[in-house]
Amino acid sequence: MPRQKSIRAPTTASLPNNLRIPSTTPSLVKALGKLPRQSLLDLVFQWLDDRNAKLFLPFLESDETESPDDEGLRPYPAERTLNDVRNAYQELQFRKGGKREVIDRILDGDWRHGITLRQLAMVDLRYLDDHTSSLRWTALELTRIGVSNSTHDNTSLTDISACMPRVHASTFLTTLQNLISPLVKAHFYLARSATLPLTFLRIFVTHSPYQNPRQAPEILTDSSRVMYVAFPDSCPFVYTSLASTTAGSKPASGSAAAVATDARSLQRIVRDAVPKALSLPHQRYTLKPTSLTAKSLQALLTLRGAGRMNKAAGAFSIFADAVIEGSPLDPRPSNTVAPEEHHKQSKRPSTSDLDPEKEKENENKPLDEEKDLDPSSSKMQLLRRRNPNLDLDPRAAKKRKLAVNARFGTSGTRLSSAPLDRLDVRLLDAPTPTPSMFSSDTDEEASGADGSRPSLSLTFSGTDVISGIRKLAELGIVDAQRMPTWMTGEDAVSVAVVKRGRAVRDSG
Amino acid sequence: MDINDPVTQAEEELDSEISSIRREIRNLQQRRRFLSSSILSSAALQKRLSKPNQAPELSLSNLNDDISPLVRAAGSHAQSNHHRIAFSTTTFPFKDPSPSIDTEPDGSKNLLGVRIDVCVRNGRFAKPYYILLRKLRVGKVRVKVHRHTIPAFIPVDRLERVFLPGVSHEYGEGDGTEQAQPPLKDKQPHARKQDLRGFIRELRRQLVSWHTRLDAVQYLRDQIGVIRRGVDAYPDAEEDGPWDRDIPLDTDLDSGAMEIRLKQNEFGIVALSPTALEASYVRIEWEDGRVGRFKISSSGLVERAVVIGDKGRDKALEAALTGGDKKVLTVLSRLKAGAVFTRESSPSSLDSE
Repeated sequence: MPRQKSIRAPTTASLPNNLRIPSTTPSLVKALGKLPRQSLLDLVFQWLDDRNAKLFLPFLESDETESPDDEGLRPYPAERTLNDVRNAYQELQFRKGGKREVIDRILDGDWRHGITLRQLAMVDLRYLDDHTSSLRWTALELTRIGVSNSTHDNTSLTDISACMPRVHASTFLTTLQNLISPLVKAHFYLARSATLPLTFLRIFVTHSPYQNPRQAPEILTDSSRVMYVAFPDSCPFVYTSLASTTAGSKPASGSAAAVATDARSLQRIVRDAVPKALSLPHQRYTLKPTSLTAKSLQALLTLRGAGRMNKAAGAFSIFADAVIEGSPLDPRPSNTVAPEEHHKQSKRPSTSDLDPEKEKENENKPLDEEKDLDPSSSKMQLLRRRNPNLDLDPRAAKKRKLAVNARFGTSGTRLSSAPLDRLDVRLLDAPTPTPSMFSSDTDEEASGADGSRPSLSLTFSGTDVISGIRKLAELGIVDAQRMPTWMTGEDAVSVAVVKRGRAVRDSG
Repeated sequence: MDINDPVTQAEEELDSEISSIRREIRNLQQRRRFLSSSILSSAALQKRLSKPNQAPELSLSNLNDDISPLVRAAGSHAQSNHHRIAFSTTTFPFKDPSPSIDTEPDGSKNLLGVRIDVCVRNGRFAKPYYILLRKLRVGKVRVKVHRHTIPAFIPVDRLERVFLPGVSHEYGEGDGTEQAQPPLKDKQPHARKQDLRGFIRELRRQLVSWHTRLDAVQYLRDQIGVIRRGVDAYPDAEEDGPWDRDIPLDTDLDSGAMEIRLKQNEFGIVALSPTALEASYVRIEWEDGRVGRFKISSSGLVERAVVIGDKGRDKALEAALTGGDKKVLTVLSRLKAGAVFTRESSPSSLDSE
């Protein structure tokens, strides 16, 4: 392998795909170790595939003759041909064992000359495919700049189309690279998700202008320098992974002096460049926040995807799932047919077998704070007259169930899967005539001018907040008929500012 | 609790038996309900019952009294189904269950629902699409879109701005009702009239053309021949080759699209699939590595086509794709004709080598 470390000049090109990270880097073991054995083997076979083998050339015997210094020291002798390498991994495939031996074989054996950036990116994306909830994602809406005003008068219908930029991968990446190259050195990897209708773009950022950075190789595997952008199919939205808020991006590399070189601001630069790279002449795009952040990509796809639930969540999810009426060819009156049949799903009604254990903390928390929740809504005066006893009358229970179904629709059940792991609500309404009555076991903050307008912030967290609230309503702890809309997930946001009982967009 | 305990084993057996019997009962009940409602809503019965004078038997009229609620429900359901089939766009009232709307200045609990049914290729109807419109209590009746289930690639917002103006100044909020103060409203002169019919017509047109595009692609695939993974047996000889994700039939994202592959065919096409859910572009891949892409217009014509092979663009194939009557449905026959043409011309090129 010819090493051209001698030439080091700053360039504007992106980090090359074949930049090798020395296989002795300890963090590589960790990076590869995220994957289970089978996924690792799958990846290796992908690397050794005929079409890809040139890109991910393993270390062969022919390479060894050039550097015969460590003959016999290696636990894995170099194979003669590509097919031998394949056979070795086939053998591992059939044998049972830990993933450690696969990792060792990769790092000490067939890729002892280093793992390329592209291989690392593939490892990361494979992990992302296996664990779709491993990151926090924010949904952003792509909107065209300067169109909204002109559409009023002179728009022919042919012009009207949702802004869905058709991404031509290499053009997009080149433009993106041109935009950020003065500030950031990056490595791009674009791949299609295997499980979801998404295209992932993995961007690794560093601030060195050099093609072959002479930094510690740990930097190249630092996960805080990686950001993901996901392009869902056929809809004007873009998801970006949030920068991890942990201060884990240690000020290594010794250049902590410049503020703009920490991983987060590098990521911000890239994120700003994405809409510009998608833009065309006379067709400029910008990204608009949509107040939705969630861990589950499935939730984002449901609430901000190409599907039907974008603008019909909560009570209106019955329309999104089309569970109230059948097709016009169905002779049965719709009120005699169970919603599940309309949904054509074989699963049984799921409300009863929601595992309460899954709701880690918010299940109990709202139980304690329901006294706080209710006065916070705008219907305070009504609620204070509410009878707090839980009636065990079966008729009341049935009525309650109907009310819950009316308010939540199918959201929070198994029919629809949009688990929000966090819901932040800021209530701007004057909570109550006597603000002293609610205690402070939620993370609330009393702010506002001279105390006359306190605002209350509520944070729910758990595996699925909306279904947790639904559960509470089913138990009769939250009054299903009077609770405000934001509790049913109708607004499809994870951050909301509530005024007069309705969610308004955060202007700031 | 021992798993191998004979008592628990017997219990489990019984349990599974009971559950299977229950399942069967449920199926039979469903079938019975289906049949009975078919009979109740059948035209013959409804016609007969609606004319009690012509059937003067006393017993029948008594019977009529007894079963009338069921029959009436079936009758009205059949009628609304007829409307949905015939007109494809129907309206219905809906009450917003949210409690906080009453306090809004312009809010109304009563929503106007519009349901659009689209008939697709396999003789079924797609899941109905809904638009829920909210009336604004200002002057004349004006509406704005409250909720809808239209897929995101159809720009409901922009259509609303064109056809239902008067909401744009407060548009841009999630449900911009919070800043609709009455004084502001009075200042805004609503010069243009709202065109609800036009709005719905345009929406429906886009929905139908989307479904027709999907159907067209599926039709082309069926013409070539499709192997479904796990369903159809496929010869081992062509083991290699990528599987495509099928277009979901009811256009539901999470309905678990099946993986499919095209059969070996005379056109040499390996893959033919829409590039995205909206299916306005179709990608074709040939055995010899040529890759093509064409755009389907909203009227079902091939608007543009590009085919790129190893030696650059293949103009003959492009012409074959866009030529003739331009219809998507006849693409394959045009390709066949084009293939004959190229085969006639190709020997000469072979000779020259």
